[in-house]
Amino acid sequence: MAKKTKQIAIYGKGGIGKSTTTSNISAALAEAGYKVMQFGCDPKADSTNTLRGGDYIPTVLDLLHANSSVDAHDAIFKGFGGIYCVEAGGPQPGVGCAGRGIISAVQLLKQQDIFEELDLDFVIFDVLGDVVCGGFAVPVREGIAEHVFTISSSDFMAIYAANNLFRGIQTYSNKGGALLGGVIANSINTDFHHEIIDDFVGRTATQVVEYVPRSVTVTQAELSGRTTIEAAPKSEQASIYRRLATRIAEHTQSKVPTPLGQQELREWSASWADRLIEAENQRERAIQVA
Amino acid sequence: MTLIDHASIKPAAAPAKTNSIEQIRYGCAIGAQQTVAAIPRAIPITHCGPGCTDKQFMNLSFYNGFQGGGYGGGAVIPSTNASEREVIFGGGERLDELIDAALKILDADLFVVLTGCISDLVGDDIGGVVSPYQKRGVPIVYAETGGFRGNNFTGHELVTRAIIDQHVGPYEGTRDADLVNVWSLLPYHNTFWRGDLTEIKRVLEGVGLRVNILFGPESKGISEWKAIPKAAFNIVLGPWLGVATARHLEAKYGQPFLHVPALPIGANATTAFLRQVLAFAGRKRRSARAEAFIAEEEARYYKYLEDFSDFYAEYWWGLPAKFAVVGDATYNLALTNFLVNQLGLIPGKQIITDNPPEEFRAGIVEHYRHIADDVSTDVEFEEDSYTIHQKLRATDFGHKAPIIFGTTWERDLAKELKGAIVEVGFPTSYEVVLSRSYVGYRGALTLLEKIYTTTVGASA
Ligand SMILES: Nc1ncnc2c1ncn2[C@@H]1O[C@H](COP(=O)(O)OP(=O)(O)O)[C@@H](O)[C@H]1O
Ligand SMILES: [Mg+2]
Repeated sequence: MAKKTKQIAIYGKGGIGKSTTTSNISAALAEAGYKVMQFGCDPKADSTNTLRGGDYIPTVLDLLHANSSVDAHDAIFKGFGGIYCVEAGGPQPGVGCAGRGIISAVQLLKQQDIFEELDLDFVIFDVLGDVVCGGFAVPVREGIAEHVFTISSSDFMAIYAANNLFRGIQTYSNKGGALLGGVIANSINTDFHHEIIDDFVGRTATQVVEYVPRSVTVTQAELSGRTTIEAAPKSEQASIYRRLATRIAEHTQSKVPTPLGQQELREWSASWADRLIEAENQRERAIQVA
Repeated sequence: MTLIDHASIKPAAAPAKTNSIEQIRYGCAIGAQQTVAAIPRAIPITHCGPGCTDKQFMNLSFYNGFQGGGYGGGAVIPSTNASEREVIFGGGERLDELIDAALKILDADLFVVLTGCISDLVGDDIGGVVSPYQKRGVPIVYAETGGFRGNNFTGHELVTRAIIDQHVGPYEGTRDADLVNVWSLLPYHNTFWRGDLTEIKRVLEGVGLRVNILFGPESKGISEWKAIPKAAFNIVLGPWLGVATARHLEAKYGQPFLHVPALPIGANATTAFLRQVLAFAGRKRRSARAEAFIAEEEARYYKYLEDFSDFYAEYWWGLPAKFAVVGDATYNLALTNFLVNQLGLIPGKQIITDNPPEEFRAGIVEHYRHIADDVSTDVEFEEDSYTIHQKLRATDFGHKAPIIFGTTWERDLAKELKGAIVEVGFPTSYEVVLSRSYVGYRGALTLLEKIYTTTVGASA
């Protein structure tokens, strides 16, 4: 009997570190002996680059564009540790409907029973997370993923996107949609970053799964076309990613978050901005005194 | 005739507004492919999902008087049949391919690209696809007519405007004092548009004008459209459709327009209409020719009416006294006018079904309030047939069987009310209509024949 594949979606604002973090999670899980597929759902189609030496792979939608019927196997490429890499792809910017593209790409693999056939332990969807239209909500909505994690820094724009995602999850939560596993806090280097993100998860009834610091190890690994797990397996950063992967592997209970309302979110960010300015002023006074 | 204030007779048991429409009474915006098909030697090219084009044609033309496909309509219409591929990647390339192919095998004086929901939602750059053809001198324009933009009336105005702006273009020349443009019935949707436009053109020409009728068998096609800016003025004949076009022409070419809300049926209304047009044209001293034409038309009309009056006087016991009209605003107002003023029938219920823009509604209601010197009636705006039929059921038609001027959707209801039905609007699925007209001098006689053949025929 086939085991149940654990399906996870990772959302977050563009450039926040979704693909970097997801690839490291995939790499850590593969290293631990799991069968993993990483499914990039971003028209940029660069989710799996660091799993394949910096290479781009043909996308599901490239194939759909060129052929009327597509064998899903043609869109699956093996990467580091045997990870199955798939990129949904999308139309060129400014044309067509990327959201529908993601729906079609995911459906193609599901229709051909690929997850079962490959006997996967994990499928991780790396989804552009501004949830701009229905298509991007597919992994949440159709229960394709059971658990959703969001990546956010302490930056307000990133938190804004995370809060939007929470609203999406809340909307679909009573219709069989995915629930929230928690927040992966990325680029958290100061106490202040910690406090902001902790305050946010507290108010929205969720949790931080892991704090990932910003680190040059990540940058160096990326420049060599690899994940941190592959390029610097002994580094502190790699061990953080491994811990994160373990938490996600062990995670079972996701919840419905309580997103902040539009006005609430504005007031909340304004109050943090005040504290930031106050802290900055104090620091300057301290410098002047010294 | 006594003053009838219908509101006070019986408070209609108005059903609550539904959120759905049963038995539709119009097509969607891309149904304006029929507007293109109505222009001689023009061909629509549709960029939409499979089924849209055929469905609009079957609805608006086939099951509505069985009007046929014409030169460029029906099965001729090239369509991209957009599928998932066109959704995801955009359908621009596919449309380009289709236009290119259409130009090779189809011969037209004008091609009009109409888009459906898919393309409009995805945001295909249709202008980007079409304009290189236009630059090459290909007679082609485009209109974005996705269904969510509105019904086929909306689509009609979008297409009309597209042709004016993209094909007729700027004009600096002089105006021809005898030439007029007519904007009236919605082609195909109004089952009798061909015959009616023919009659309208005939009577206007009878009083000495030359007419760009623009649609139908009497139109000269695209050359006539090119001549739009040369006309002295525009005539909008109907309560609302065409007003937007006339306003646009006024802004674009400084061309004035005359708005005549009631399409004339019968000698009285038609003569009044012609005199109104002549006055607007600035012909203070009416030409002898115009007066001779009017006199001749009236003489013929009243001769037949005289013969008819024998029947009308003797058969009174078998004729309906109260009527209802359910249909688009143009025909609804025209018929109500004629039935009240010429036949002395009593208005029971008038329902307008083409969803006129909000800005025209109060004005339309006013016309019904003053339908005759001594008759005031009401009109309602409703699109859902379930509600419409409930309203008709709740109407007091007195003890005589009513006559309902409506559509095929009213057939069963007419039986239920033991009344007569005359199909006068979309969909008219139990009539074959070719050149028949119900307007003007001649059409009014045909209408009389139809009404009373229906009534006397019921006892056969
Ligand atoms: N923890 C981190 N430390 C250093 N650089 C990071 C970290 N997380 C992300 N980055 C860098 O940020 C950039 C954007 O990350 P990426 O994963 O491509 O974002 P996304 O997939 O969300 O668009 C990349 O250059 C990546 O190397
Ligand atoms: Mg990415």
